[in-house]
Amino acid sequence: MDMPGYYEFCCRVKIISGHDALERIPETLAQLYAGRPMIVTDKGVVGAGLIDIVVNAISSGVNIAVIADDVPPDSDLRIVNSLARLYREKGCDSLIAIGGGSVMDTAKGINIIVSEKADDLMRFSGANALKRPLRPLIAIPTTAGTGSEVTLVAVIKDHEKHLKMAFVSNFLLPDASIVDSRMTLTLPPAITAATGMDALSHAVEAYTCLAKNPLSDAHALAAIRLISDNLLKVTVNPGDKKGRLGMASAATLAGIAFGNSMVGMVHSLGHSVGSVCGLPHGACMAILLPYGLEYNVHKNGHLTAELLLPMAGALVYAATPKEERAAKVIAFIRRMNQELYEVTGGRHARFFKEALGRDGKEMVPKEKLPQIAETALRDGSIFYNPEDLDYDDFLMVLNAAWEGKPLDTCLIRKG
Amino acid sequence: MRLQMYFPERYEFFCPVKINSGNRALEQIPFELDALNARKPLAIAGKDAGETGLIDVILGAFRDSGIAVGVFDGVPVAPDLKLIRELFNIYRDRGYDAIIAVGSGDVADTAKVLNIAVSGKPEDIEGCAGEDLIRNPLKPLIIVPTLSGTGYEMSRYASFDGRDYASHFLMPNLAVIDLRMTVPEDAVTTAAASLAALTHAVEAYTGSGKNPAVDAYAYASIQLIMEHVAHVIGDQHDGGGRLSLANAHAMAGCAFSNVAPGTAHKLGQVIGDLCHLPPGLCMGMLLPHVLKREMSEGGYHISDLLLPLGGFDAYASTAADLRARKAIDILYDLLRDMSAASGGAIFHLWKDAQVSEATLQKIAQKAVGAGASSDIEGCMKILRDAREGR
Amino acid sequence: MNNFREVAAGGKSLKRDYVAVMMWFMGRAIQAAAAVDEAVNKEFAGMPDGFTFALSVMPNGPHMIVGKDQRGFARYRGWDPEGKKIDLDMKIKNIEAAMLIFTFQESTALATARERLIVDGEVAHACAIVRILDIVEVYLLPKIIAKLAVKRYPGWPFRRKYIGRALIYVRTIFGL
Repeated sequence: MDMPGYYEFCCRVKIISGHDALERIPETLAQLYAGRPMIVTDKGVVGAGLIDIVVNAISSGVNIAVIADDVPPDSDLRIVNSLARLYREKGCDSLIAIGGGSVMDTAKGINIIVSEKADDLMRFSGANALKRPLRPLIAIPTTAGTGSEVTLVAVIKDHEKHLKMAFVSNFLLPDASIVDSRMTLTLPPAITAATGMDALSHAVEAYTCLAKNPLSDAHALAAIRLISDNLLKVTVNPGDKKGRLGMASAATLAGIAFGNSMVGMVHSLGHSVGSVCGLPHGACMAILLPYGLEYNVHKNGHLTAELLLPMAGALVYAATPKEERAAKVIAFIRRMNQELYEVTGGRHARFFKEALGRDGKEMVPKEKLPQIAETALRDGSIFYNPEDLDYDDFLMVLNAAWEGKPLDTCLIRKG
Repeated sequence: MRLQMYFPERYEFFCPVKINSGNRALEQIPFELDALNARKPLAIAGKDAGETGLIDVILGAFRDSGIAVGVFDGVPVAPDLKLIRELFNIYRDRGYDAIIAVGSGDVADTAKVLNIAVSGKPEDIEGCAGEDLIRNPLKPLIIVPTLSGTGYEMSRYASFDGRDYASHFLMPNLAVIDLRMTVPEDAVTTAAASLAALTHAVEAYTGSGKNPAVDAYAYASIQLIMEHVAHVIGDQHDGGGRLSLANAHAMAGCAFSNVAPGTAHKLGQVIGDLCHLPPGLCMGMLLPHVLKREMSEGGYHISDLLLPLGGFDAYASTAADLRARKAIDILYDLLRDMSAASGGAIFHLWKDAQVSEATLQKIAQKAVGAGASSDIEGCMKILRDAREGR
Repeated sequence: MNNFREVAAGGKSLKRDYVAVMMWFMGRAIQAAAAVDEAVNKEFAGMPDGFTFALSVMPNGPHMIVGKDQRGFARYRGWDPEGKKIDLDMKIKNIEAAMLIFTFQESTALATARERLIVDGEVAHACAIVRILDIVEVYLLPKIIAKLAVKRYPGWPFRRKYIGRALIYVRTIFGL
């Protein structure tokens, strides 16, 4: 096991997992001396009937003060401020965030304002600006998933000033993360596939990039094993409760892994495709993941090789010679994308060219690739990538990922 | 047909300890104190810390930080509440706002109990003895372990002056693992500490409380111990090995805090007390026998143990129904290697403890009374096998 | 009570001096590189006017401050942050971590991965600064050391590597 020269690891979130995990929320809040929560969520979650499930599970034990469901798909400072006002008006003492990344970030932002009794969130941006614990926050992820229920980061956009504020602090971590199979039972297949591959990309990048450490590795391996066991199953059979629980656990474990070890070029590129073209994050991750591993293989191929065991199982691992394992992992991920493409009726894109929006139009036009490469240069994940990338490198990877052709490893400039 | 990963349909996991480990880890403490909103730490250490130079290392780490550090290096073996009173007065009178425990064992236990006092008042301590009787978070606590620590110091447990305390609020905010603090110890001490940690990690990984989150800490711990312990016992100058072991101990303590103690732990604890042996050593010597017994009773998770014990290649190339047996064999081999590395000291110590049949009975009864998962007959079989070295 | 004492934090003056000197070189070299090297010039061009960034050691320095003046040129603005509006502060957590970076035991990337510094300001700018630092290190340091400091040692044409290096050295030392 690689012991890095220096590392830090922390996950202070209590994980509560099960088919009936929601029912344990009242006692969790009571232990934190709270009982009048504000629920923060979005209209999609409401529409899926998930809020009703949560309310039924907890209303006998807590006094739900208000349900705020106007969180937009992208975190927005105005909403954070208005919901903080609502929190105060209704005399709340805690927060329950039910949803995906944007809901989690919004709830974390609200928590800063109401706990510090501040009017200007900007004051707390950056690292370590918070000095003491915030109000109790329970996170209930509804995808499997972003892992943001266990990260100490929140990103809030100020659309008026065109600023993206990042907040980094251990105090942002939720007090508890509820991993309950009911929350993802109704996820449609395409979203199941995309969010599942998102979780996989977190675990794989955490394991193969520069900030890896023994604990994040252990979490990542468990996540990869669970995803390989369950993702296809639950995409084909959405009602598979055990499979859903496995995926939800995997997403949280992957979140813990990357929350501590960061991610690399797959996220640099994926964030950029997302921000320039609006393609959902999970879809970007699925397409780019094999390319990230290919690009870095001369630096971390030996680590990629190890992933063959949790991904493909003991028989395949034992039967594959050591020097072929990394390539086999990359092929395995491509095959996963292929299988998910087939079972979602083509909605899970295997490469950018075939990623279509609801209107049937191409979501990532080839002409936009230069702009995406430019944007990727400004993404902080690049620090943690084992190999350097400049504009030309990014463009090369994007072109390959657009066509769906493997990278030509001869073209990679090795450091 | 690949084996699906086990996960329980219901589990909980909590570990509030941050771990900082590696080169110049101590120098990060001032930054971490600031993150905990603390400015004036009180460092407490054992009586020998001054002589061994550990205090100087800690103080050196604070240079250029602008932070003044209080130092109390008089924690004796078997400290008592009078000491707590003395430390409480210092903490309160001089306005400290954080505790740094320099060392493991008694020092760490003292720090945890002191933290109860300074977060309220000394009279609170008595009411907190027992399971989960602390109601609120305590003040910042940083623990800098030495190699002799079993990981217990990171756990939710503390034993002080005849009383036991258990609460996750006792767990330190931060564990700082720095090579300079993991000074070489003698072979038996290192072996005992690592075997305690290994037992805790293995029993967490294979017991009824198994879940993916506990597994992550246990897995990392087991792997690191397997890779390094025999070598460190043989060559205490192996700095990288010592650092890895110290990490493994801390991780085992975190895993241990999330499961009920297992049979090897309980039996080892009792034997250690009765026969005046290091409990960790006893736990380790019993571990393969306990697992053998559990395997015969259908111990489902032992085959998975081969993964951290043997590594990926060993696991993959061993047939599924043979993995449990192989894992146990690896443990027997490990004990042999460790003893060989210690020049036979470990095995001698164990064999020299002449334990009569009547004592075995007493041990089994005590362990079962304390909640061991095997029954008395099962414990007796384990103990006899261990005594005979089977 | 005789087991207790309080110890005020001492200093690490030698290490502070070393880091301060290295930062002085670095700051002036960045200024020089912005004038001589096209890539560095381009990175600066992409920053807003008046943009100022700092490399600092916590808690009390030393510091290196570089700013973009009205004409768009990079200027080394000294070691004192007092009175200056710093848009991006890359803070190294302690003097030992700074030593690891400035003795090239940990490259910028490795230092980031090892949590040795925090970025106060926009990450996008931090990425540009790290690219600039990498280029400057390749100019200033012999290959064998520069390879430790950067992820990928570049294959530059003769002109850029040797003539550029000479120009930057001259400008750094004479403050041009």
